[in-house]
Amino acid sequence: MKGGQMNWMRKLALTTALVVGVAGPIHAEEIKFGLLQDFTAVYTFVTGQYNQGQQDYLRLVNEEGGIGGNTFTAIVRDTGNQPQRGIEAYNRAKEEGAILFDFLSTPVSAAILDQAQSDKNVVITPAHGRGDASDGTVFPYVFPMMATYWAQAANLVEYMKQTGGLEGKKIAIVHIDSPFGREPGPILQALSEQEKFEFKAFPYASPGNEQSSAWSEVRRYRPDYVMIWGAGGGQAVSVRTAIQNGIRPEQIHSVIWLAETDAANVGPQMKGVKRFEATASGMDHPIIQRINEKVIAPGKGSGETANVGNSYYNLGVATMAVAVEAARLGAEGGATINGDALKAGFEKIAGYDAEGLMPAITITGADHQGGGAGRVSEWDGEKWVPVSEWHAAYPDLVRKVIEESASHYGK
Amino acid sequence: MAYFLELLISGALTGLMYALVALGFVLIYKSAGVPNLAQGALVMTAGYAVWLVMSWGLPVWAAIPIAGAIMFGFGLVVERLLLRRMVGQPVIMVVMLTLGLEILLRGLVPGILGSAPKPIDLGIDFAPIIIGDVFINRTSLYGGIAALVLVGAALAFFRTRLGTKLRAVSDDHVSSWAVGISVERAIGISWGLAGVAAVVAGALWGSSQGVDWTLSALLFPAVAVVILGGVDSIHGVVLGGILVGVLGTVIPGYLDSVAGGSTRDVVTSLIILLTIMIRPFGMFGREDIERI
Repeated sequence: MKGGQMNWMRKLALTTALVVGVAGPIHAEEIKFGLLQDFTAVYTFVTGQYNQGQQDYLRLVNEEGGIGGNTFTAIVRDTGNQPQRGIEAYNRAKEEGAILFDFLSTPVSAAILDQAQSDKNVVITPAHGRGDASDGTVFPYVFPMMATYWAQAANLVEYMKQTGGLEGKKIAIVHIDSPFGREPGPILQALSEQEKFEFKAFPYASPGNEQSSAWSEVRRYRPDYVMIWGAGGGQAVSVRTAIQNGIRPEQIHSVIWLAETDAANVGPQMKGVKRFEATASGMDHPIIQRINEKVIAPGKGSGETANVGNSYYNLGVATMAVAVEAARLGAEGGATINGDALKAGFEKIAGYDAEGLMPAITITGADHQGGGAGRVSEWDGEKWVPVSEWHAAYPDLVRKVIEESASHYGK
Repeated sequence: MAYFLELLISGALTGLMYALVALGFVLIYKSAGVPNLAQGALVMTAGYAVWLVMSWGLPVWAAIPIAGAIMFGFGLVVERLLLRRMVGQPVIMVVMLTLGLEILLRGLVPGILGSAPKPIDLGIDFAPIIIGDVFINRTSLYGGIAALVLVGAALAFFRTRLGTKLRAVSDDHVSSWAVGISVERAIGISWGLAGVAAVVAGALWGSSQGVDWTLSALLFPAVAVVILGGVDSIHGVVLGGILVGVLGTVIPGYLDSVAGGSTRDVVTSLIILLTIMIRPFGMFGREDIERI
């Protein structure tokens, strides 16, 4: 299939092969991760490639002997972005022995969060879920482990400051009308007061296949910078409609959900558009090269080869790299890997960058975001090219927003 | 004033793009008397069909007619496998069947062909047409023209001998059988035609946003269009589409920044509710039709 991705049906079918095949004979310990994600509804734009990267990385680790003899098994199921199905899938996977869960769905993660914490199972929420779960004192078993949406907005704003200045400038934030779309509001408000810029929000209805009225208004607002905060097909519509309204591609800055597929949909006009990234894209990274050599080349990959190295694939790889590192640290001293040991392992992660695939993260008992670093990259017509260094922007301000939000949890 | 004019024109053209989706709904209702809640998924499937044919290396001008043939065949298959056994059954069961088909296609087609958005390049220039301070989106403009052409073709079709037969089937299955009209064939043709209309809608909407499951979400504004225009009225699709598009663009254009959220879906919902309460057969629908 030209430029396609592994379809979710084949992926789910291959899951059985992963469980009984790659894991091979029963080892000293089999560590199970529940990758219970949305293959059929809202997150379909990312799940296929993301999950493919996750499965391929776990295969790589197993091919390389696991960690201390322990191998990894992925339990992959479709939740359809429905909390009810997610809860059912969680309970089944928990019975099967899974100790870490990635739902890649904000509503499903939210629905299971309390139960998972009560069960002392780890939930990772990279690039989705509650940003305030970064506060490990309130959410001890939840690990965003990458830049939250607040940290992403801060990173983009800092990039604007460095490249064109902020004082007296205008930023238009064009977003899908959902809690996710409204997420950057508080941090932009705080930053606008600190950096003396003006910003205005322009919402559009979900899923975003028609945004003309929002962009007509944006054009008349005459912004210096534009931030787009959506996902899936709506992102391509945003970029197209922005350009059709005279916004230059160089003015457009996106949340993390803008990838190669969106660039293909927009076409050559996409050149110059920028986005936040939490992991590097491309093949030129040691982990990706080893996956290529030991998993893809022998035909053990879990999806289309064309996806290997693209943005969402690499994001998936990075999530499992961090999770496996946490398991390795948790198993130090011969500890049995359960939810508690895994949590302890996460909180021992210091300066880990997945061999350069992502910014170095340090996770502590209080900071489950891992520092919130990232960078900005630009579409050059063929690929994403970094235009800033890995770093965390306005970390104190972001932390303040996290703690403020977390303080309301359960009240 | 320029802002209002731009919203007005943009809304009218967007509404005509909705009319492209709604046309398939009306074609099936007018021919077979079946309210087709699978039309959004048909548009999505048609978008995938265009992308698939283009992925074989064929140019878009060849891909669209080939996809049209595929979707016409798909419509015939739907009739043969699903609809045929529903002839003479309560209409509510047929509605439920089409709803089931919508859900099935929305999961199955991306499951087989891949769920990440697929590109369709129609070669339409990005640069808008600029008149004063009014920008007109070329994709919407061409979509609007395509909608008018298709509606004209549909109106002409229903004046033909075959079109008259389809209308007779829509009126009464039993009487149509009695005078020798093949009800099964008529329903199959109507689904096939809806599939062809879906190809044009899928290609145009897909070129704007990429092809993925969200194309099926176009069912919602399309339902508003057919309820407002009349579920059995082809020219009602045009006027209903323009009104739904204009109201769904102009009102959010002024209210969204004040309300702090998108009001477009609220406007569309109100159009559906108010039309059903005030004039349940729509602006141009026949008064004796049943409410769905």
